[in-house]
Amino acid sequence: MDSFITTFHIDWKIIIAQAINFVIVLIILYFLVLKPLRKLMAERADSIKGGVEDAKRNAELLKTTKDEYAKVIADARAEAHTIFQEGKKEAEEKKALMLEEAKKDVEAMVASGKKNLEAEKAKMMEDAKREIVSLVVSATEKLITDITDDSIDTKVTKRISKIS
Amino acid sequence: MTQEINNTELNTNLNSETGAPTETANTEITHESTLYAEPIAHIGNFTITNSLFTSWIVVVIIFIIALAVRLSLKKIPKGIQNLFELVIDGALDLCDQVTNSRKITNKAFPIVFSVFFVVLLNNWLGILPLGGFGLIEAGEHGRAFIPFIRSGTADINGTLPLAILSVLGANIFGVISIGLWKTFNKYVNLKAIGGIFTKIRKEPMVLLTAPIMVFVSALELIGEFAKIASLSFRLFGNVFAGEVLLASMGAIIAYVLPTPFLLLEVFVGVIQAFIFAILTLVYYTIASQDHDDEHHEESEGGEHKDVH
Repeated sequence: MDSFITTFHIDWKIIIAQAINFVIVLIILYFLVLKPLRKLMAERADSIKGGVEDAKRNAELLKTTKDEYAKVIADARAEAHTIFQEGKKEAEEKKALMLEEAKKDVEAMVASGKKNLEAEKAKMMEDAKREIVSLVVSATEKLITDITDDSIDTKVTKRISKIS
Repeated sequence: MTQEINNTELNTNLNSETGAPTETANTEITHESTLYAEPIAHIGNFTITNSLFTSWIVVVIIFIIALAVRLSLKKIPKGIQNLFELVIDGALDLCDQVTNSRKITNKAFPIVFSVFFVVLLNNWLGILPLGGFGLIEAGEHGRAFIPFIRSGTADINGTLPLAILSVLGANIFGVISIGLWKTFNKYVNLKAIGGIFTKIRKEPMVLLTAPIMVFVSALELIGEFAKIASLSFRLFGNVFAGEVLLASMGAIIAYVLPTPFLLLEVFVGVIQAFIFAILTLVYYTIASQDHDDEHHEESEGGEHKDVH
């Protein structure tokens, strides 16, 4: 052992000094490099992991939203088509109904017009007759007044009586 | 190994640092590669050797690098932070392959990482071409040149504390992980001794197996010292041999011949630092595993692997 110590000049003071050196290096590296760097790396890894998860979630959300959008659009189209068809059908029915009613009204109006026209015609005829009679009477009266001849008077009177 | 150095060259380099008189220009100055680190200064009765001085430089360099990293920390990495993140991430994955558990890796990593850095920088500082800086001292065989820089790992006083701290740290880690009783029983198998009295009626073979188990435990204890010796001497031997090799090659043909070996030593420095760090990690992993539990699990057909 002595020869070993003398050959290699083993010095416990230097060994302790070298051990202290190593401990100092360990402390320096741990507190200045390893601890903060690993903390930072872990935080970054977490944030990347979170980001990737967020991206996945967002992609899923986007897919769901797109599906929902497509579904809503398809439903809306189907509904619009149904509404359009119903509206069209309803409009056609209404149109037919209105045409029917209009036809009926026109017919009623035509019938009523005819009736009124005939009544008017009859009335006018009546009036015309009365007017004519009145005119004839008046003319006759005038004639009678002018012609004093009884024969004429009798003749005219007979004729008038025949006419009326 | 003795290497002669041109005295006039040395005097131009060293006189300003040592204050050595110029009238010694004709005397021969030698530099001997010694197994031990040479003293360069004294504080009271404490001797500062060139390897200790180099280790202090390593501490300062690591402090500067660590401070640069700390001050440049940003959420989006850049420059030195990027490099360190890359190294740490890769090192953590590598450690996981050894420990099979991120939990153990997380606990052992600061020590393993520090060991790697200290050994690597010491190895590299030792082969930096700064050998011309030093002092001249009168020795037994005339005037001798003592360089200021000698790798901290090229001195057994530098590698021994690292090895002791690694093995001691591993055992402390074992106590924390599996408890004092189980760690103690690895070295002094009181369980086996107690088993002689409790199991002798049911299993008479215990009389034969218990002493073997006690002997194996004693071997484990010796093995811990062997770990310290192997770790420290492997590193010391490799680095010291590298420095001697470079000096020898430089003595044969200066500048040209040492260059490929210098590059080789850069690589060897990394390999040796890596081996030391990985072995430390292996000791930590072994210390954190309970062999009794392993046996139980193996007998039950289970796998002893933590989930990452």
